Amino acid sequence: MTSVTVNQSNNGSTKRSAGLVRKIVSSQEFILFVSLIALILTVGSINGNYLRPNNLISILQGNAFAAVAALGMCLVIISGNIDISVGSVVGVLAVISGNVVIAGVPFWIAWLVPIVLGALVGALIGFLVAYLRIPSIVVTLGLASIIKGGLILVTSGREISGMPAEFMISQFRPLGIPMPIYFMIVLTIIMAIIMRYTAFGRSIYAVGGNADAARLSGINDRRVVLQVFIINGIFVGIAALLFATQLQIIRATVPANFELLVITAAVVGGVSILGGVGTVVGATLAAILLNAINSSLVFVGISPYWMRAFQGILILVTVLADLLRRRRQGIGL
Amino acid sequence: MAQTPLMLDKNPEQSTGGRLRKLLLSQEVILFIIMVVAIGLLATRSDRFLTQDNLLTQGRLMAEIALVALPMTFIIITGGIDLSVGAIFGLCAIMLGWTWENICLSPIAIKSRGFECAVNMPLEVSIVLAILIGILAGLVNGWFIVKIKVPPLIMTLATLALYRGMAEGISQSRSVRGYPDWFYQLGQGDLFGIPTQIWLIIVFSIISAIWLSRTTFGRSLYAIGNNETGARFSGIAVGRQKMIIYAFSGMMAGIAAWIFVSRVSTTRSDMGSGLELDVIAAVVLGGTSIFGGVGSIVGTLIGVVTIQMLKNGLSLAGVTGDATIIVVGLVLIAAVLINGFIQRRSGAR
Amino acid sequence: MKKLLSGALVACLATVSLGLLPAAAQDRWDGADDLPTNPLACPGAEVEEMAEGEGEMMEMPAYDGGAAVDAPDLAGQPIVLVDVPKLIGIGYFAATTQGQQEAAEELGNVTVTTDAPTDANIDDQIAFIENYIAQGVNGILFAANDPVAIAPVLRSALEQGIHVVGYDANSEPDARTWFVNQAEFNGIGKSLIDQMAAERGEDASFAIVTSTFTTPNQARWIAEMQAYQENCYPDMTWLATLEAQEDNTLSFNQATTLINQYGEELDGIFGMTSVATPASADAVTQAGLCGEVAVVGLATPNAMKPYVESGCVQSVVLWNPVDLGYAAVYVMRAIVDGTLTPESTSVEAGRLGELQIVNGSEVLLGAPFVYNADNIDDFDF
Repeated sequence: MTSVTVNQSNNGSTKRSAGLVRKIVSSQEFILFVSLIALILTVGSINGNYLRPNNLISILQGNAFAAVAALGMCLVIISGNIDISVGSVVGVLAVISGNVVIAGVPFWIAWLVPIVLGALVGALIGFLVAYLRIPSIVVTLGLASIIKGGLILVTSGREISGMPAEFMISQFRPLGIPMPIYFMIVLTIIMAIIMRYTAFGRSIYAVGGNADAARLSGINDRRVVLQVFIINGIFVGIAALLFATQLQIIRATVPANFELLVITAAVVGGVSILGGVGTVVGATLAAILLNAINSSLVFVGISPYWMRAFQGILILVTVLADLLRRRRQGIGL
Repeated sequence: MAQTPLMLDKNPEQSTGGRLRKLLLSQEVILFIIMVVAIGLLATRSDRFLTQDNLLTQGRLMAEIALVALPMTFIIITGGIDLSVGAIFGLCAIMLGWTWENICLSPIAIKSRGFECAVNMPLEVSIVLAILIGILAGLVNGWFIVKIKVPPLIMTLATLALYRGMAEGISQSRSVRGYPDWFYQLGQGDLFGIPTQIWLIIVFSIISAIWLSRTTFGRSLYAIGNNETGARFSGIAVGRQKMIIYAFSGMMAGIAAWIFVSRVSTTRSDMGSGLELDVIAAVVLGGTSIFGGVGSIVGTLIGVVTIQMLKNGLSLAGVTGDATIIVVGLVLIAAVLINGFIQRRSGAR
Repeated sequence: MKKLLSGALVACLATVSLGLLPAAAQDRWDGADDLPTNPLACPGAEVEEMAEGEGEMMEMPAYDGGAAVDAPDLAGQPIVLVDVPKLIGIGYFAATTQGQQEAAEELGNVTVTTDAPTDANIDDQIAFIENYIAQGVNGILFAANDPVAIAPVLRSALEQGIHVVGYDANSEPDARTWFVNQAEFNGIGKSLIDQMAAERGEDASFAIVTSTFTTPNQARWIAEMQAYQENCYPDMTWLATLEAQEDNTLSFNQATTLINQYGEELDGIFGMTSVATPASADAVTQAGLCGEVAVVGLATPNAMKPYVESGCVQSVVLWNPVDLGYAAVYVMRAIVDGTLTPESTSVEAGRLGELQIVNGSEVLLGAPFVYNADNIDDFDF
């Protein structure tokens, strides 16, 4: 059912290494990776500028903050829930963070503010979902509406500008590579390790796969769901920080369709929306792939009218490839 | 689990008093009470709220959401979801206008500049075509979900982009305007003193309610939502049922698009964007469980009316749009919370 | 093996779908919406054209707006107005609201409330207007999300004796009385193209980042830009037009993609919205190309201050949205008071003085305003 069970079927050490190769080659991550490389090379052969280092960095950077949010979304979805409010929360946390630093607070505190508040919002959602048993789609749909209205009520949409340079963490470029890319890579690795090698990580899969069974085996499913939403909140907070410092102005609005992008990245990355299956690496690769698709359509000069239709087709192709793979391997969804 | 009235009937051991209590504590009744309380409170804030004119206008405005919410209830009851309804809505709106303006029947061709066309496309045919395209779009969703086993959320997320993109690509982002007068009857006219589209809501609601609660087909949807594997083993044609409801969803999106184009007298490729979230909010507010197996058409209609009246009543009471969506969000959470709390308590007893 | 096969299959599918791309490749989008363009005279040819222009001025088109049916006579009396812009929660409409409040305060006998959906959605906007018709106001100010879609509800307002005045984005003329036109489309098109020519030369290659192809104002501006550029700067090269919604990140990514794609070839980017212009400026800044790639566009001053101050953007074209909202309230007052009639040729608008009537039923605010490093700090919206 999960990729973990596939692993257990290998016994001998030679078999294991062969199995490992097979496993890597047949994983959703590998498919996404191959698609990404194929896409980059194909477009690169049409327009050489696509392969320039600058553009490759742009491809990685474009959706980096969305990838960070998608890591949290993966956990939420694996645990059998969903979060429609990420866009609104990112919007409001970015505005708060910007206002805090404008008010003269040291920049590193302004960095921490969205992350701490994100965790608090996550705790609130988690409490409502896990302990008051309101479906997460209802909680986050309602919350999205509340935050959006509240933000407009308070700010009327005035842009924030004049943040100090040391606050603009997204614009730092250590070794010539923009900071969001480091965030994306490091956080993905940390989460991949947590999900795979810790009891907590496995308990999320268990709760998402079958909450009753998880409870019977001694897992406190409510606490796991609460923790998942808190962690998601932290990731949303980091994404908000990266979003806030990306440009020299912060718009006091909710980023349009952001939740759709994040959910798409998570599910294209191989997270089953039914819970219990999926990995975080796939989500990050999917976020990069979505941005690569977008810029490649510009590069090959496709009519802008048809761009969105092609995005839809390419998403579908990726998903179908994954399903085909699962079916061949006899892995159910 | 026995939360639909229909399933209550099947329980012969229940005493009349117990039945009555169960009925009073059913989803729909509780939601109805919440709605009446909300409307009552709002009515004290403005004397223009409960007037005939205002109520009829609100009925006109909520037609599209109500019509799309009917099949969405079916789909969510089976444990699925359809995020592409807004995109299908946009695609059908565009196809209605585009085929009428650009297709020539004699000689058969797509018109270009300076093209001499002997027989133009009749608008009636374009309307039918647009609805057929809606059905087709829904069937494509259903086919992939059933045959290739793509999870509904992913499938409809992908077609959300695809159908919207097709609307944009086909129309080249141009609007089609200038329809004949009869066309506006549906969206802007009245029938027996009531806005035409309200009749459509009534007709389709009754059909959907009977279909869902009084037929084997409808009952099988609950079975699929509760336990799909079990439903399959008990001989239900799960795949066929699902294909039908996704096609139904596409059809209703097409009909809603027709009404909308007739109401606003133009087509745009961005029509219906965000419709899916409004519809889903109304359906879950109406007590349909997002996990499947529970829900009713009456509940969905209460959900649609509650949200519409809340927005309208708050506006008439002088509350601005930003504060209104805060209240709508709070009500959504609170209503589901209260309802769930009561259902659990009565279930525990 | 099977897995390798499925991997290969994906590669195939991806290649096939990419192979299909050129099939759909078409001309760039230039805003054409089937309406005729009316490019202004090129710089240098102005003297000659002026005379012609004056000739046209003589025969002004007749009033083509609508009128409120049996509106109560409230001349000099307090009136209650509602303002329904495209959406609330963005800097631009916050500024028009500010202008309306200023005018209401000056006049003393006008109350105006701004209320609109939180998304620029035609359906929601119609619902808001319906609500205010039911509530019973004396006048409605609007900025339309769609000129045709909004018309039926505005006509029903007129039928119920409610005065209707548009600003920023027009409706069909007969669905409102007057429209306050911030600047004529061809004027904006000329300003933007002239600015690009001044910064990057008359043979510049440029690209455009806009919101969506369906946004009527943006579509008209781009169509006028094209007509004017082909007429006056035939050596300019139009590389691409991209959609970026009202989305910062997407605008930034699209501008970055343009920079990477065209490299040295790209001389300038036009931003068509208050979102696209600053995001494009930031993309140019972060690519280290200030001075090599010009950013010219429409935007509110607050959104552009960082880039104008850093020198990366030389100037921003826009009318003054505060004045626009201010003028709309004065026009409404003049209609109610009976001083603005279909026969008028101008209207008095407080601190803005006399505003001219153009195109039958439009009140012209003036020429587009150019913000630069010298004056941008004087504006706060």
